[in-house]
Amino acid sequence: MKTDNENKGKLTTRGKTVLASVLAVLALASVLALAGCGSAADAVKGAAGDAASTEAGQSQARTLEQIKQSGTINIGVFTDKAPFGYVDGNGTYQGYDVVFANRLAQDLGVKASFVATDAANRVPYLESNKVDVILANFTVTDERAQKVDFAEPYMKVSLGVVSPTSKSITSVEALAGKTLIVTKGTTAETYFEKNHPDVTLQKYDQYADAYNALLDGRGDAFSTDNTEVLAWAKSNPGYTVGITSLGDADTIAPAVHKGNDTVRDYINQEINSLASESFFHADYAQTLEPVYGDDVNVDDIVVEGGKVS
Amino acid sequence: MSDATGEAPMLEVRGLTKRFGDEVVLDGLDLAVRKGEVVVVLGPSGCGKSTLLRCIAGLEGVDAGEVRLEGEPISGTRRDSALRQRLGMVFQSYDLFPTRTVLANVTLAPVVVQHRDRLEAEREAEALLRRVGLWDKRDSYPSTLSGGQRQRVAICRALAMHPDVMLLDEVTAALDPEMVHEVLDVVLELAEGGLTMVIVTHEMRFAAAIADRVVMLDGGEVVEESDDPAAFFERPETGRAREFLSMFEYKREKGKGTDHED
Amino acid sequence: MPGAEIVLDPSNVLRLLAGLGVTVRIGLVSVALSLPLGIACGMLMTLRNPLIRAVLRAYLEFIRIMPQLVLLYLVFFGTAGAWGWDLSGEAASVVVFSLWGAAELGDLVRGALESIPRTQYDSAYVLGMGRRQAFARVILPQAVTRLLPPAVNLATRMVKTTSLCMLIGVVELIRVGQQIIDYNRFAVPTGALWIYGSIFFLYFIVCWPLSILSRRLERRWAR
Repeated sequence: MKTDNENKGKLTTRGKTVLASVLAVLALASVLALAGCGSAADAVKGAAGDAASTEAGQSQARTLEQIKQSGTINIGVFTDKAPFGYVDGNGTYQGYDVVFANRLAQDLGVKASFVATDAANRVPYLESNKVDVILANFTVTDERAQKVDFAEPYMKVSLGVVSPTSKSITSVEALAGKTLIVTKGTTAETYFEKNHPDVTLQKYDQYADAYNALLDGRGDAFSTDNTEVLAWAKSNPGYTVGITSLGDADTIAPAVHKGNDTVRDYINQEINSLASESFFHADYAQTLEPVYGDDVNVDDIVVEGGKVS
Repeated sequence: MSDATGEAPMLEVRGLTKRFGDEVVLDGLDLAVRKGEVVVVLGPSGCGKSTLLRCIAGLEGVDAGEVRLEGEPISGTRRDSALRQRLGMVFQSYDLFPTRTVLANVTLAPVVVQHRDRLEAEREAEALLRRVGLWDKRDSYPSTLSGGQRQRVAICRALAMHPDVMLLDEVTAALDPEMVHEVLDVVLELAEGGLTMVIVTHEMRFAAAIADRVVMLDGGEVVEESDDPAAFFERPETGRAREFLSMFEYKREKGKGTDHED
Repeated sequence: MPGAEIVLDPSNVLRLLAGLGVTVRIGLVSVALSLPLGIACGMLMTLRNPLIRAVLRAYLEFIRIMPQLVLLYLVFFGTAGAWGWDLSGEAASVVVFSLWGAAELGDLVRGALESIPRTQYDSAYVLGMGRRQAFARVILPQAVTRLLPPAVNLATRMVKTTSLCMLIGVVELIRVGQQIIDYNRFAVPTGALWIYGSIFFLYFIVCWPLSILSRRLERRWAR
């Protein structure tokens, strides 16, 4: 009885010590690993979008050949941003970007595997090679171009101005002395402040507030991305987008991991060859026209063959 | 009694020294308790009474000297279960197991430590609880009992292990006055039954009534020891004992329960 | 109220339930992994060894200071960038939520163990119980009764926080809801309220029993 009990005591102590050291090592390892993980920190910073570009991860992006061999191309798309990338009632991926993504995969002879992305994590997805391509309404900017490589554009966005149909504003000149509603921090705000100081701006923090201001008649018109106002006007009878394209167009393009030239070149080649069949016009007719209506000049939005007109 | 025959005392403390840091709490203390004897340990706050009990129980290690149980040295905290079972201890704060019923508190150690038959252990536990007047509370949880009731359960819990010696550490110090009696009555009954006990208490009348021997500690050593408790309380021989007792007389009504931290 | 048809459409209901399945799967697996890890962490935290204490303290603080989203990004994107690990979004989520759960539960276990009075150990000791017996028969039951309500609370928080997983591509309940709302933006403009109402209801169905359980245990063990 005596020794039995003593042994028990010792066993417990020894067991605890072993367990303790194992766990200590594990914990230490994970803390060190996480703390020392420079590129992880970069990924986070990149996502926050407030840091200069730094060396991306060491791992290599998949080449075109490797994608072909695997039989699947991983494409990051939006899944809740109709009409660019969304999931329809049957659970199928749809939208302007998705139609192109499907064609890209089809012509490459592989299956498209869609990954749900958000605006904030598109760069990290590419930097970490979690996807081969991002096709998620990705506007080309200098800052982003330092971290990822953009292919040729397949769409463009400029400013649109929506106003009541009864007092439709169809030119910038007509805005002089009028009150224009804008949302703070948007391209529209900077564009009008810089180029048309004669227009009185009424600023709101939220899109919803801005639209309500227009509906209440607190301003004469509202300006933001043309794709946005076009879709809004379509579902709000009595309002028209009198100016569908204003200011410098931002282009929207597929993006790949920095330096993944084989894949980028393939996409460029694809975009060029698709011009012959006016692929993006057809894509527009299928996905965007139902949302924007048919009185829009398609060439204000669609870019064919990578050539911005 | 048995000393004369040369038999070893039931419990013996020799030259026991205990320090906490630089402070000497027990300073070469000697004490012998014969079988069936009830020894009451008295002394002012911080005199080392509770530490003495904890050293005997093996809850504190000793820095010098030794503790013997029937001649066998048992000093230190790493004593085995069989030895620990021979010394029962009841604490000031009862320390019942809150997640178990009264009955389960009493039967737990007999069943898991002594591997006794559960039914037999329960029968004995019920008999013990009946003796202390708590049989009807056997299925209650400790949180529903009064302090006096909890302390009586704690005594049963210790008794269920059939200890050779019971150590009672200020068992009434945390009780409201009206509950002190119900607990001390139980202890008196145990003494009459011949149980060897070492009792630390501040209940002077109780001490006088129950003690076979009174030992007064001060400054970590025995200042007075008497086999005649009545004489000790009426005519203490040393100045320190007199001082202590007179202080106690003066503080009697409100002094109870001020001696927690020694 | 208009828009109800959006939640009466069987395919939408099925998709929401599938999303709930993902949510619950991540939540349950993470909770299941957190339990042994957290108990081990908590027991280690009560040891006096200063190195173990410091390491576990650092681990706990690191997990606490970092927003869960940052942890998800670290594990999902970070491990891919640094070592080329291709963790799925769900796997990365389970890793993050298990690490989080283990740290938080560990602290709860530590707190519960340390809240047991020293005298309970003394009582067990003088009754002849060995360390293992004392721990299993005396300390653990008390620790568990103190631990359960906050642990259940932690589990519900973990289930709710799985909504962040959508930001690393996991199509869970809320993401499915957003997809359905977005798809029906023009056809059923008032559908958002219904979808979020359904999502609220589904979370409620998962978390409510846990809340009830927690409250019941709390009452039962209030003594």
